[in-house]
Amino acid sequence: MQIYLPIAELSVNLFFLVGIGGAVGFLSGLFGVGGGFLLTPLLIFSGVPTSVAVASVTGQVVAASTSGALSHYRRGGVDLHLAMYLILSGILGAFGGVATFSILRANGQLDLVIAVGFVVLLGFVGTLMLQESVRALLKQRKGVVVRERQANQHSWIHGLPWRVRFKKSRLYISVLPVLVIGLFIGFVGSLLGIGGGFVMVPALVYLLRVPGNVVIGTSLAQVVAMMAATTIMHAVQSQSVDILLAFCLMVGGTAGAQFGAAAGQHLRGEQLRGLLALLVLAVAIRFGLSLVLTPSDVFSMAVAR
Amino acid sequence: MKRLWLFLLVLLLPVLPVQAERLVSGISNDSIEITSSFAGERLTFYGTIAPDAGSGDRVVQGPFDVVVVILGPTQNRVAREKTHNFGIWLNTEQVEFSRFPSYFHVLSSKRLIEIADINLLNENYILPESHAMLPNPAGFMKTLQFGRELIRLMSQDGLFGVQENGVQFMSDTFYSAQLTLPSSAPPGPYIAQTYVFKDGQIIARKSEGFAVRKIDFERFLAQSATQFPLLYGICCVILALFTGWLGGVLFRR
Repeated sequence: MQIYLPIAELSVNLFFLVGIGGAVGFLSGLFGVGGGFLLTPLLIFSGVPTSVAVASVTGQVVAASTSGALSHYRRGGVDLHLAMYLILSGILGAFGGVATFSILRANGQLDLVIAVGFVVLLGFVGTLMLQESVRALLKQRKGVVVRERQANQHSWIHGLPWRVRFKKSRLYISVLPVLVIGLFIGFVGSLLGIGGGFVMVPALVYLLRVPGNVVIGTSLAQVVAMMAATTIMHAVQSQSVDILLAFCLMVGGTAGAQFGAAAGQHLRGEQLRGLLALLVLAVAIRFGLSLVLTPSDVFSMAVAR
Repeated sequence: MKRLWLFLLVLLLPVLPVQAERLVSGISNDSIEITSSFAGERLTFYGTIAPDAGSGDRVVQGPFDVVVVILGPTQNRVAREKTHNFGIWLNTEQVEFSRFPSYFHVLSSKRLIEIADINLLNENYILPESHAMLPNPAGFMKTLQFGRELIRLMSQDGLFGVQENGVQFMSDTFYSAQLTLPSSAPPGPYIAQTYVFKDGQIIARKSEGFAVRKIDFERFLAQSATQFPLLYGICCVILALFTGWLGGVLFRR
């Protein structure tokens, strides 16, 4: 069954859309990530214009993260104080990201920057995650008890000025690294159409030493608020948010996420992280190849506005 | 704008008195409505070549050739070329074609080069290439090269095309032509220009318009997105929050 997308101005198979939404939703439920980093490339490779794909996936990420954020909030797993700093700086970063997005689209360099962004970001994060999970798996096999990282270990980051007390996270740290993380994720997330949860979580854990019980919830709350703001900015700035496309993806995504979350309970944390790392690296490699290999057609066209 | 005026001027040029034929024609649909299940639409162009009202002839003498040109709304298009730099492929060269047709199809009763001289076809914008040969600040050679590539890309997407067996004659003077408009055909005003050729000359021509437009919900969405972008964005967010919340409630996560 074909469905006409009014903003993308093309018709796509409805089951295909709900299907990829569901499949990505399953993975996002399984790994606890938003899934934007999979959905945006999938849409681009299946013919949706890059600008429409990025802007519409932004809306889908909001839906995908909402139910998770709410359930974490009910369990008290959201540090609202910390989230507020991240959201404010994230929205500021998103302004920059959306503006850059428009400039790049006009110059014809949007696809290039998105591909490079995915390769660098996903390649870097994927490699780190893979290393970490392989090490954990090997240690476990040898029978060594894996020690959780100490929450109160200090690094140079904790010596910066303007310290603020975050009660729920039991932290007394400078706001500077918090704001930098928010800015960076806001910028990259709005530019690439990803929530950035897979960057945010490691950053909170390893850089700020946020305790495990509030990391996921705080990150999800930040993703919801920042991506909601980004969706509105994309709608105003580039008018490329396709509500019908986003809705089809949301429906598939929210349903798939529930099954993913259920399946995730049968796997161990290290295994999950290892699998996620492989997935992230696969997407990075796919984008990397598209940059390096001779394209099947060196010419391309676009509608100039 | 200039091209449009030229186009109108050509239409209004009086038919030379020696020509004794006129064209009576029609289209199966005068508007094509894009609904949520829109997956393209089939159009039929038909007509007959009749003696001109002023001439005393009762019958017309063939053989005739008919060419139907379907022209979509114009857009500014850019064609870009990737080159290999520092190990990666990136867009380096581009040429912008302003007022380029977003859709262009030619249906003819036989091969175009057998119907008329290539210059005559070009003058009347009957060939796809004639749209890419207008003066362009990028320079002649580059325009020629990028124009050819742009037409190739548009043809791959089904937006440009030439069907040299697209017009069928049912009798000596009655013809019909069918065209399937793809779902990617951009909305807007379309012009169908029909030319009747005899001995390599245009003896009659007629143009008709039809519209491709979004209706109902599709139209509402597209209009809201461009006219009230802020409200539209807020609605997208509310929809997303609601869907996410509902998903969580339904599945009791």
